[in-house]
Amino acid sequence: MMRFLRRYLWPRWVRSGRVLLGLLSVLAVLAIAVVAPVLAPHDPLAQDLSLTLRPIELRGVYPLGTDGLGRCVLSRLMFGARAAVLVALPAALGALLLGGGLGLAAGWLGGRVERAVGWLAAAWVAFPPVVLALLLVAGGSGVAMAAMLSAWPLFCRVLRAELQAVAGRGHVAAALMLGFPRGQVLWREVVPAVLPAALALLAWVAAGAVGLEAVLAFLDLGGAPDRLSWGRMLADGWEVVFLAPINLVAPGVVLFSVMAGLALLGDGLRGTMGLALPEARLADDAMAGDGP
Amino acid sequence: MIASLGWRLLVAVPVLLLATLVLFVVLRVLPADVAAMALAPGATEAEIAAMRVVLGLDGLLPVQYVIWLGQMLSGEWGLSAQMGVPVARLVGTALPATLELAALAGVVCGVLGFSGGLLLFALRREGGQREGRAALAETGTTLMMAVPALLWALLLVLVFALGWPVAPVGGRLAPGLAWPPGTGFLLLDALAAGDLAVFGSALGHLVLPAVALGLGFAPPVMRVLGAALAEAYRAPFIDQARLRGLSGAQVLWGQALPLAAVPALAALGRQFVLLLGGVAVVEAVCGYPGLGRLLVEAVRAADLPVLQVAGLAFAVVAVLAQAVVEGVCRGLAPRVRA
Repeated sequence: MMRFLRRYLWPRWVRSGRVLLGLLSVLAVLAIAVVAPVLAPHDPLAQDLSLTLRPIELRGVYPLGTDGLGRCVLSRLMFGARAAVLVALPAALGALLLGGGLGLAAGWLGGRVERAVGWLAAAWVAFPPVVLALLLVAGGSGVAMAAMLSAWPLFCRVLRAELQAVAGRGHVAAALMLGFPRGQVLWREVVPAVLPAALALLAWVAAGAVGLEAVLAFLDLGGAPDRLSWGRMLADGWEVVFLAPINLVAPGVVLFSVMAGLALLGDGLRGTMGLALPEARLADDAMAGDGP
Repeated sequence: MIASLGWRLLVAVPVLLLATLVLFVVLRVLPADVAAMALAPGATEAEIAAMRVVLGLDGLLPVQYVIWLGQMLSGEWGLSAQMGVPVARLVGTALPATLELAALAGVVCGVLGFSGGLLLFALRREGGQREGRAALAETGTTLMMAVPALLWALLLVLVFALGWPVAPVGGRLAPGLAWPPGTGFLLLDALAAGDLAVFGSALGHLVLPAVALGLGFAPPVMRVLGAALAEAYRAPFIDQARLRGLSGAQVLWGQALPLAAVPALAALGRQFVLLLGGVAVVEAVCGYPGLGRLLVEAVRAADLPVLQVAGLAFAVVAVLAQAVVEGVCRGLAPRVRA
């Protein structure tokens, strides 16, 4: 009984420090993004031109100071989490569905489908992800769409390789020989087996999407010039770095922490959920969605 | 090796053709008004209508694609909509700059990746009571992966160009130095002209962006090399080599590293392609006038003639680099499934 409880209520991946740390930071960002309007001490767009470039005053009116237009840095950081979540979440999930679907279809159906998907992915990855995202933004797509469309080949490649490793195992062959429909075998035996890899990759791709959003906002592309984004804050902070360094340091530290949290989560999941691939295969795929 | 390299380069041709199709769809089918993108802002209705005919927008999509592909292949790239300068000249000056930067960044990435990988492996091998240290190093690479090249570039420029000015940023050459004639590859031209002052200045302008890119993209190479070395040491021929009386260093450099270097090299190739994407933002931070900055400015101005050629140039460089690395890796180790 105890062993049953340990296995199902307290599995190994929950006990991994990396997973806990990663989950904690991801949940924190999600929570802040949701309740930003309640939590933020000020309107992130409100300018206070009498109090520009204030330094950190933890007990003051502006806890993390203000930027060049007198806007509250802390409030802007909190609202910036929304931009990150609104890009990373749909981009990572969409890339998982699109790339994972194509990858599994290619690996499971083989033949023409596999060749077609292979060529499509090869043509797609001819463009470095950031370049592709820039072109997509120029073509009129949103940042989340650009992030998704530049990340799907990664899921496609990794899940296809995972599927090939899983399909060679005895229980899959046995299920097929017992006469279960192929679709059912895919859904019941193969998909659960490749899920850990998909989840680990999901975290990494989300980290890459957060980075891509910051880069595009830094370059002031694919959105309004006054959007609330950590990348925009980096660009603004860069202008005033010697007058009020907090304007650059704060978004930099936040961006790093969030990406590090997601990367640790992916790392921990990969390390503890028992993937079919040897470490070397996934390690080099890590963060491949991370353009910059 | 020649055969595998030749085969990879041959496969690169259809891949590039398909890539042009992707580019065509992204830039010519998805946008709302392609004709307006191909003209300077403020063009009249009549000019836009005329451009529509020039671009063949009234024809069927496959026909449009064939016409467009012909223009791309024959070098009829037209004028930049924003700057009114021939696109060929813009890309022709920006591409060598970016190739120089990317090559140097690739070298930095390789050096960091291989030395980091050896370090990871050394920490892991100590094992026993120091296992914690190996896990810590492992986590360190994860944290390093979480620092995008954008942050590295900001940090390096802040410290080494603004705070303590040891490396110049902005442009490719210090003002006042004469540009040597030649190919546009500044380092090569300077060497050919024997002008060490120009060479030093050009190299100095490359250091910060190249190191930022190298730091940003090296960690996966480190991890692959570390894991591949651990894998190699489980092979029986390593025990064999030890029994033959080879020293630890001889086993590492002569036996294990050549085997482990192949997957690490493949990873380096993949990272190089990603690094090409990172060029766009790092060039913007460092004020380096390369293809990345050209692309970013073209996106900002919706400058279609520049966008399509710059995008294609990135794809050509990425595909060729990938093909060369894969060909070399296959040649070195035929069982690598690249």
